[in-house]
Amino acid sequence: MIEFLTIPGVILIVGALLLPFLPEKVRSSVFLLFPLASLYVVFTAANGYSLSFEFFSYEIHAMEVDRLSRVFGIIFSITAFVAGVYAHHIKDLGQQVNALVYAGSALGVTFAGDLLTLIIFWELMAVSSTWLIWARRTKESDGAGMRYLIYHVLGGGLLLGGIILHFSETGSLAVETLTQEYTLANVLMLVGVCVNSAVIPLHTWLADAYPKATITGAVFMSAFTTKSAVYVLIRVFPGWDILIWFGAAMAIYGVVYAVICKDIREILAYHIISQVGFMVCGIGIGTEMALNGATAHAYSHILYKSLLFMGTGAVLYATGTSKLVNLGGLFKKMPYTFGLYMVGALSISGIPLFNGFISKGMTISAAGYAHVEGAQLMLLLASVGTFLSVGLKLPWFTWFDKDGNDIDVKKLPVNMYIAMSIAAFACIFYGLFPGTLYAYLPFETDYNPFTIYHFVETMQISAMTLAGFWLLKKKLAGELIIALDVDWFYRKAAPATRLVFVTWVDNFFDRVEDKILDTANFLSEKFENPMTWLNPFTDRSNKADGYSPAMDVVMSFIMLTFIVISILYFL
Amino acid sequence: MNLNKIVWTVIGVIIAITLVLEFTFLADYDSHWWNSIPAFYAIYGFLCCLAIIYFAKFLAKNIVNRDIHYYD
Repeated sequence: MIEFLTIPGVILIVGALLLPFLPEKVRSSVFLLFPLASLYVVFTAANGYSLSFEFFSYEIHAMEVDRLSRVFGIIFSITAFVAGVYAHHIKDLGQQVNALVYAGSALGVTFAGDLLTLIIFWELMAVSSTWLIWARRTKESDGAGMRYLIYHVLGGGLLLGGIILHFSETGSLAVETLTQEYTLANVLMLVGVCVNSAVIPLHTWLADAYPKATITGAVFMSAFTTKSAVYVLIRVFPGWDILIWFGAAMAIYGVVYAVICKDIREILAYHIISQVGFMVCGIGIGTEMALNGATAHAYSHILYKSLLFMGTGAVLYATGTSKLVNLGGLFKKMPYTFGLYMVGALSISGIPLFNGFISKGMTISAAGYAHVEGAQLMLLLASVGTFLSVGLKLPWFTWFDKDGNDIDVKKLPVNMYIAMSIAAFACIFYGLFPGTLYAYLPFETDYNPFTIYHFVETMQISAMTLAGFWLLKKKLAGELIIALDVDWFYRKAAPATRLVFVTWVDNFFDRVEDKILDTANFLSEKFENPMTWLNPFTDRSNKADGYSPAMDVVMSFIMLTFIVISILYFL
Repeated sequence: MNLNKIVWTVIGVIIAITLVLEFTFLADYDSHWWNSIPAFYAIYGFLCCLAIIYFAKFLAKNIVNRDIHYYD
């Protein structure tokens, strides 16, 4: 049994169980050991390594390692470590434990060898991440956390339903590629996974909850939920055509909202939807190159998106606000944060020598090679929006634009700088040496991102995006607004939902209750004294419950009958 | 030199370099229909940028923007 402690997900979850027993001083340092241990296991476990045990009559595959799960395992472990460094100053035990359980569950999903293990970690991920929202302890985060939890319970339920149906149809619990058939089981599983990968229109939990999570919680969240769902999509649903167009639509939807939104963390949250769109589109295309592209993009994305969330988190920590309208002119006060943020921003925009260039290009080119040119142009449009929203609008209105913003800036803890530097270093490292990432991709590849064509394409698009932004930047300035999304239907429609499912149901039961009481009233009134209506021809008051000679005769007669019958019976 | 000039110089230099590269090294590249259009990516990038800004602005103004306390 001891070898089960070497499952990466279990290492982190056991770590989470140990944390409460440690003194506060060493807790956040010990936190970091568990992701490192998991990273060691992920690197050393051989391809095809598998751990299984008997559970009743089922063979449970708790861990299976192959190239795909390894690359996700590596990046999840690294991010858990980096985010742990970023959160090193946090003393809140609840957040530390839940962050570790959350990261562990994401790793558990990654290495799950069967669907039962997968769904258990899947649900654990939903519950533990909810805590990272609630830990902010504001009225908004309470509401957003509850909506987030309900959404994920729904998604997990759909996935579980699909798994049960799938098992009853095929008798197999293996996590394997499904052929593209829209049976009820497959559709339920697909929709369940799509909830977690924030496929539109099932994405609103993300944009709703992430900006309201704690500063450090958002860094964890940006990495795990959507990307573990992307992993499951790559493994189970590669080449499902429908994903191409949902992915491309997500990519554009996300950036349009990122341009509309005026809260720095909300911009990044919407932008996750766009980035996951690239991956989902690649998964839909389903060629080896596209799946490599989706995997590489998930890997790069986790690095630079956590860096961006750390940068904006630092701004929120230092200034106490994340609204663009209150920010601006911070360059002199937070130059290092700006520099580190820009590494992430240039990476996400796919600028050469940063890691977005080596993975985004792969996905877009895969669309080109597979001759899905419509999707390719849509993804290029989304790249423009990426640079525009995350690379230009957000930093411009945060660090520049206003002169002499007199907002107070708190000093950042050193560990925040260290974490951001590690992530920034990784972004540049993979941008310069893409081979170090390509070697771990699920399929062998000889893709070379550093071609003149790719350089010309990216630089022309980026330069002209900058030109467009520079001309029209006034249109994007901060305002105090919120942008409605399809969550309107369950947030504003809550009164209507309550009317149908609560008020109407209540009313129905009220009516029934009234009718029953009325009937009971009527009956008890009428039978209180049946003589009044049994004998309506007399005005003598006949009291049924009182003594009267007539009653006496009747009762005596009944009693006599009983005695006679019983005597006859016993004789 | 003010920021405005720096930005336009950077844009100009990048476009100049990429156009030279495009016409010298990629003149006969034809894997997509749009590769026959010179400076396609520059034009596409600029048009997309304007399209996104105006479309987002239109959406924001007419449909999605609400007061910050809308849900309270």
